[in-house]
Amino acid sequence: MPLFNGVTMNVRELKNNFKSTLLLRKDPVLFGTIILIIISLFLFILFPLAKVCIIAFQKDGKFSFLNFQEAFGFWYYRQAFVNSIVVGLLTAFIGTFIGFLFAYSIIRAKIPGKKFFNIIATIPIVSPPFIGALAIIMLFGRNGFVSSFLLKMSNANIYGFKGLLLAQVITFFPVSYITLRGVLESISPTLEDAAMDLGGNRFTIFMRVTLPLAIPGIASSILVLFVESLADFGNPMILAGSEFPILSVQAFLEITGMYNLGKGSALAFVLLIPSVSAYFIQKYWVSKKQYITITGKPTASSNKIVSNRARNILFAICILIAALVLLIYGSIIYGAFAMSWGNDATLTLKHFKYVFEVGFDSLIDTLIIAGISTPISGILGMLIAFLIVRKKFIGRKFIGVVSMLSFAVPGTVIGIGYILAFNNSPFYLTGTLLILLINFIFRYIPVGIQGGVAVLGQIDPSIEEAAEDLGADSNTTFRRITLPLMVPAFFSGLIYAFVRSMTAISAAIFLVSANWNLMTVQIMSQVESGRIGAASAFSVILVIIILISMLIINTILKLKYHTKSSLLSN
Amino acid sequence: MKKLLLLGLISCFLFTPLFAQGSKETVDEAKEVVIYASVDEENSAKLFKAFEEETGIVVKSVHLSSGPALARIQAEKERAQADVWFGAPSENHITAKSDGLTIPYKSPELDALGLNFKDPEGYWRCIYMNPLCFGINTKALEKAGATMPTSWEDLTKPEYKDLIQAPTPQASGTAKAEVYGLCEIMGEDGAMSYMARLNRNIQTYTSSGTGPSKGVNVGDCAIGIQFTPAFFQFISQGLPVEVVFPSEGIPAEAPAVSILKGAKNVKAAQIFIDWMTGVKGQNALSELSTYFYPVLATAKLAEGMPAFDSLKIIPYDKAYYSENSERIITRWINEVLTSK
Repeated sequence: MPLFNGVTMNVRELKNNFKSTLLLRKDPVLFGTIILIIISLFLFILFPLAKVCIIAFQKDGKFSFLNFQEAFGFWYYRQAFVNSIVVGLLTAFIGTFIGFLFAYSIIRAKIPGKKFFNIIATIPIVSPPFIGALAIIMLFGRNGFVSSFLLKMSNANIYGFKGLLLAQVITFFPVSYITLRGVLESISPTLEDAAMDLGGNRFTIFMRVTLPLAIPGIASSILVLFVESLADFGNPMILAGSEFPILSVQAFLEITGMYNLGKGSALAFVLLIPSVSAYFIQKYWVSKKQYITITGKPTASSNKIVSNRARNILFAICILIAALVLLIYGSIIYGAFAMSWGNDATLTLKHFKYVFEVGFDSLIDTLIIAGISTPISGILGMLIAFLIVRKKFIGRKFIGVVSMLSFAVPGTVIGIGYILAFNNSPFYLTGTLLILLINFIFRYIPVGIQGGVAVLGQIDPSIEEAAEDLGADSNTTFRRITLPLMVPAFFSGLIYAFVRSMTAISAAIFLVSANWNLMTVQIMSQVESGRIGAASAFSVILVIIILISMLIINTILKLKYHTKSSLLSN
Repeated sequence: MKKLLLLGLISCFLFTPLFAQGSKETVDEAKEVVIYASVDEENSAKLFKAFEEETGIVVKSVHLSSGPALARIQAEKERAQADVWFGAPSENHITAKSDGLTIPYKSPELDALGLNFKDPEGYWRCIYMNPLCFGINTKALEKAGATMPTSWEDLTKPEYKDLIQAPTPQASGTAKAEVYGLCEIMGEDGAMSYMARLNRNIQTYTSSGTGPSKGVNVGDCAIGIQFTPAFFQFISQGLPVEVVFPSEGIPAEAPAVSILKGAKNVKAAQIFIDWMTGVKGQNALSELSTYFYPVLATAKLAEGMPAFDSLKIIPYDKAYYSENSERIITRWINEVLTSK
């Protein structure tokens, strides 16, 4: 009878879901919100993807697997697939390890220089793509400052696996740091203190209390880094080279170099499989290991959970990593002011002058686009996180999966999909501001969702239930109880979405128009034509703008909510 | 209720603009022209500025390399978002013509161009040309203790190990021209075995056709295989760079310009094309230091550039190679990349 049992279970679950969905009628705002979100996800994520799928599964107007057969009958693309997975996994694990190390050292070990390390971790996130990879060539390449000048190596070769992995880890570990920082901050230190009072030694406490509590965050971090690394194409484009093919780059080259949209879409489609499975693995694993630590009861730490020796070692490691980051991004500042990087060290402002002459309009456009899309994306992300974790209704899983999808799909595919979907009746969007806004909003909500889900998983629902027992409707509860608790995660999501909108490239390159252009697209064209000085100057300006905006957001937060975002706080 | 209203407002914001936008009518007046530019940003900005000053027509441009540009024009063919596609090798414009993405335009300026530089029906015409060359960072070459190469064959010598950067033909039009040119010089089999030997000396293949100049600029490599303009510019900036034309001969590119089907500003587009391919635009190439070779025989040449006629240019049949491109590039991956 086990089969039959299984069926009844499913029917019961479905019935419950259905009942809860019916109950939603009494809450028209919630109901309307859900409907609106589902329609938007259909329109702005699934519809463009479907357009690309149709092309991938089509040959000469008929349904066919030929594109896939051609693509993966070729050893070179199979190799690219393997390479992508290997680099993705290594980036995910090494990046998360370093991110956790940073977060643990700063939050739990309370090493000195917290502000400094926060800024260090912020830099790679706020820098445009390509530029980190360029700096790595300038430092570790044949004529590199470190390899040639310091180490006197005469034939350093940074291209391929090594260089790519270095670039990916440096680019993505801060993402992990920010996720895990939020998680560690929300784990009440009284738990560790209690374990210590009960006689546990520090290592045991770390392994049996701190680490397990951080597992949901660590899992999210690994997932996010894996997916990001798989979909990234800025670093591999510059550092991987043809001898170490990477799938995202090959999909892009197939579309833009061989003009084979079908095969390129097929390659990109295959990239979805590991990304989506990563999502499900995380979902299954994390859902079994969630802990509630914010209980509404007071917390205070005795601050003794890390020994002095361990603190010193952690401090030394953090300093080393920080030095590497500083070296890489400091050299970009040098490149922006040097007459000719590697040839003539005379300082000059000519690159900046050039940027203001050629790129001022795109600077304004970039600010407008990021400024509008970010808050919408952030609020939507929190809202969806709340719905997924706290509410029961039909389509809940659909929302979770689909909103993650836009994050997992390579930007090239999204970009092409958007043109195919929104340049025809009834949706005329190409060339407008709106298409860029919508693209950014839906592409970066998953960051907010991930953060929101991780935080919500640790907030005891009884706090919300209490509010509802006292007569608050779900809207009031969300606004007055849940949202304030989610504020740090919300602003991480917000800032991250802002930074991403400011630095996005792979989808944006298909969506910018004569009226609405983006700085990153211009940086890419500078990099492509070998104008490293101008590319560096563009990047420095972009980073300064982002940092100023973050300071403004933080100041508002401090004044209004007496809290801070997890990026760039004290 | 207030919340419901807000919700309604948000949905209006999200959904109405989708339906509200009607398609615009074609404009007869020549006030502005929208250009997808596959010429590098600095040079096209100079040319557009000169054109604006001359005619008063405002140029709005998006910079896209030839690949993304063509992909985008194809995706937008139901409703063109630009008037002109400026730059990208003429092969791409042949593709655009056969895919029905462009419209013809004939004028006296078209008649004045040589037969190699235009579509007889007037769908596209070339705007400038560039020969392929070895761009050499003499300082980096000296440091590596290698001598100046003078031929394609020289590049396979062991002394150049890891000193050379070249673009990959998977993505770059420059590299495709290089591979096709070598096929003409050595025959397809000969070219493959040559490039397999060359592969041992290649430090990395760049995705972009102008990628190697970045390596040459900073001394990351000593030799870059690429079209000439970036290197001529480096020389004019006083960098330790020299241009070598290998003795076996070299292919050349001739980027073109087309008017897109569905263009809204056809009149302005025509004025732009006449200016660009006429005497004024062709002279501007040199006057503005783009280091592009003009396609009009009577136009001026910038300082430091050898006359185009003095170079040993290897012509190749664009139609044949367009058809065989996928086969040849697959061969390149199988035979050249795997060679150690």
